[in-house]
Amino acid sequence: MNKEYDSIILSTAYRYFIPFIMIYGVYVLMNGEYSPGGGFQAGALLGIAIVLDKLVWGEKAILNISGATALILAGIGTFIYALIGVLTMVFKGNYLAYGVFPLAMTEVERHALGILGIEIGVTICVMATIIVIFDSLTRREE
Amino acid sequence: MGMLLLIFVLLVSMAVTGLIALFLKDLMASIILFSAFSFLAVFIYLSLGAPDVAFTEAVIGVVATTFFISALRRMRRGCSR
Repeated sequence: MNKEYDSIILSTAYRYFIPFIMIYGVYVLMNGEYSPGGGFQAGALLGIAIVLDKLVWGEKAILNISGATALILAGIGTFIYALIGVLTMVFKGNYLAYGVFPLAMTEVERHALGILGIEIGVTICVMATIIVIFDSLTRREE
Repeated sequence: MGMLLLIFVLLVSMAVTGLIALFLKDLMASIILFSAFSFLAVFIYLSLGAPDVAFTEAVIGVVATTFFISALRRMRRGCSR
């Protein structure tokens, strides 16, 4: 936002923090079946990484996703979730009954893949929503 | 018994932190106390055996604190005293 947040301690600390937060977010998403975590927490972690980047660097942020782009991303996340649900109905199953996908793997693997798919949708949606809220809180009105 | 005592102490600290955060005049101090409130809630969830909820609470506590501080900067009055 402003130059007054830009101290050498903040910029150095966040330069090292942000990649770790983002990798931890992806780990939480991928490992969510075996450990605490899942789509929502992963999305919140990715969102807070981008929000911290925008908070420290302002307009010069590397991950400077604008509010309008984030709104589109939120829609895409919801669309992924709904698309997987409707695809299961296309293959003559119930909504989100992942076992009907015509893939050469066992039923359990198909379930794991389907759940990973909707979790990716939830992650994108939550991340984008956090960015939108942050953007509407800090946007300057001309 | 020890666990019950721990949860009791955490709950009392949560109540005290929340009440002070409500009645303080300094909004920045309120935000920091809310952050502490959320941190105590994380410990309560952990001691009750719900690490998933505790993880969510920790992450959302950080997100909410960031949002509050951004909104406070937007309001241009950190302290109403």
